Amino acid sequence: MARIILQNDNVNLDTGKKQTVTTGFISDRDILKKRSKKYLDLIAGIDAKTLTDTKGMDDLMKAIQEEFGTAEVSSLPLGIVSKCFLGHPYEVHTLDLSGSQIIKHYKTNETMEADFEKARTVAKHNAYAMVEVYKDKIILIREDGTATKL
Amino acid sequence: MSNQVISYADLSVINSALRSISSDMSGVHSELGSLNFKQDQLESELTKLADAFADFVEADLKHKSLQLAETRQGNLKQDLQIKFGYYAEVRRMATGILQGVDTGVVSDDTLRFTTEEVMIKAPGYWLAPALVALASWIRNDKNVNEKALNEALKRDDYKTTLFFMLVMRRLTRNDASLKWLERYFMHQNPQNLDREFIIILEAVTTGVFPPASRQLMMSNVKGWLDQLTQGDTFINEQKSQWVKFFEASGPLSDGKYPLLEKFADNWVKLETSLKEAKIHGILNTHFKGIISSSADFSKGVKVQLDEILSLLVTNFDDEELPLQEQVRLNQLIIQMDGDKNAAQAIMDAEKHIFDEKVDFLQLLTNASFNPELSGATKVTQALAVSISQPWIVEAHDTFTAQSRNRIPQTIELNVDGFKTTTKDGSEENELLKKQDAFYQTVLETELGKLSFPYGGVIIGALVCLLGVWAFSLHPVAGLVGLGIGGVLIWNNIKNFNNAKENITENVEERKRKAKEVLRGCIAETVDYRKEHTTEDANAEVLRQLLNSITPEDFSSVSKETARNII
Repeated sequence: MARIILQNDNVNLDTGKKQTVTTGFISDRDILKKRSKKYLDLIAGIDAKTLTDTKGMDDLMKAIQEEFGTAEVSSLPLGIVSKCFLGHPYEVHTLDLSGSQIIKHYKTNETMEADFEKARTVAKHNAYAMVEVYKDKIILIREDGTATKL
Repeated sequence: MSNQVISYADLSVINSALRSISSDMSGVHSELGSLNFKQDQLESELTKLADAFADFVEADLKHKSLQLAETRQGNLKQDLQIKFGYYAEVRRMATGILQGVDTGVVSDDTLRFTTEEVMIKAPGYWLAPALVALASWIRNDKNVNEKALNEALKRDDYKTTLFFMLVMRRLTRNDASLKWLERYFMHQNPQNLDREFIIILEAVTTGVFPPASRQLMMSNVKGWLDQLTQGDTFINEQKSQWVKFFEASGPLSDGKYPLLEKFADNWVKLETSLKEAKIHGILNTHFKGIISSSADFSKGVKVQLDEILSLLVTNFDDEELPLQEQVRLNQLIIQMDGDKNAAQAIMDAEKHIFDEKVDFLQLLTNASFNPELSGATKVTQALAVSISQPWIVEAHDTFTAQSRNRIPQTIELNVDGFKTTTKDGSEENELLKKQDAFYQTVLETELGKLSFPYGGVIIGALVCLLGVWAFSLHPVAGLVGLGIGGVLIWNNIKNFNNAKENITENVEERKRKAKEVLRGCIAETVDYRKEHTTEDANAEVLRQLLNSITPEDFSSVSKETARNII
């Protein structure tokens, strides 16, 4: 029951320091941080712009790497799935970041790659601007940039 | 060859002997039967006796342990009296002094004399110097007060702090109680909070302590939050608890979609999904109820604070606990009529309640889920919700995402063997056409199963031929033959046609009913999707509400309460 009061000072003082994140381990806090408007606008613009020219693609990749603060492919999402506004019959489109970096639009009855398919249902939902697909999880991004892990 | 005459033997003697044996045997049988019956009776008697004996042994054991418990309790109480008897005296005195101070009827000299005597009588007990300090404080003796206070703090810093904090609050010494509160907060470890902390938190929230204490509390709380939310562990723990809480708040099914319930293969999923969507609306009212309540609970809190104070001065000290626990166990054994196991179970449960220590985030979550159970009021619930707001929002987001991910994309209908899927019921005509085609195939296969009665017709034809041949014998015979043959052929064909008609009618009937059902299902699908979308949209409303909660917002409400009280 009896606590040593002197010790408490030390305990409380610790709060000032920020825990340093060890490299290689990504905390939920980091992965769930609010996404920037720039990033959101960029992804939303995929429908409108044609990114066939290499420069547009490079810009896109650069912006994504900037958003995640790393160019390391392993900590970037495999890809991004979002609702396609090209209209019927297109339903969703994917941005494959894992290497080929291809934008692909999918029709209603077309099946996607297994990794992306699990994000399809939520990507179609109006509440989410886009879904980042990782190997072991998907991250849902709302219009305001807040992220939710699933 | 000679005829041998075999005389018939007279077996009547043997026969009668056999008969008498058999009658004897039946006598033996009946004897055996009665013996068996008697044995059964005996056996059941014996079991009864064994049961009674076992009962007796159990009762005897209980009785003995009851007697033992009574004796032991007496001995233990004596032990306690010898070792810690004066503690009880100090406690009685403490209550008396507090009441005396309240009413102001005890003279300073009496207070001084009695408290100092206690000090001598109870070495090592923190309450004794605390009482001396209190008495000297009342008569303005700073020197003795400081010395006594030091001693009390040395003996048990935490309890002394809590004691003086509560006493100063009772006597409305604002500055002093604030200082003690500060010290109390320093004692708290956010990862391991005491049970009574929730009441202190409550008291500060409802404005029972001076207004400045709010500031103090909030800054402490902020520090703790920073400390606890650095890693993922504590937050994730709370988040998953909230998600579970959200999941558990689902409504009961209302049977609004009877056709889908019957004809949709994935109804269970559909129903769960709708239930989950409905949760948002329920939670919306729940949270609105929490943050809009601003009743004055301070009176109840004051009573609770005094309760802590009286517990503090009446409860046993750590030193006496082992003995007191044994006394309690024996007491429980006596209470349970000697049932040791039952007593131990109660004891364990009691212990668990008092041993319970929680981290700060857990305390907040407990207070938000069920304020009554964790000893808090609506005001603290609102505070807890507002502090926990960041991870409530996160948990809600997760819950929403999970449930949205689980929304069945199609409704799998199965009407009378016709399997089809629909997304939102918009393709009614298409589905009806498909159903038409389905029944066309059904009709074809059913008719295909029906074979033309060739055999019967051929037999009829043969009979006819026979009749034609019979004309040459006799015209009547020929006519009869022809007639029979004709009737046979006609009958067979008629039966065949009847069966065909029956099948067609049957399938038509099935089709008509199935069409109605399919239409109904499609109509329900449209309603289902509509309701689901409406309920799902509530998630965004709830999210806005949750996002609008901030600790600052809430404090304005309770500052109002605080102002009213002071």
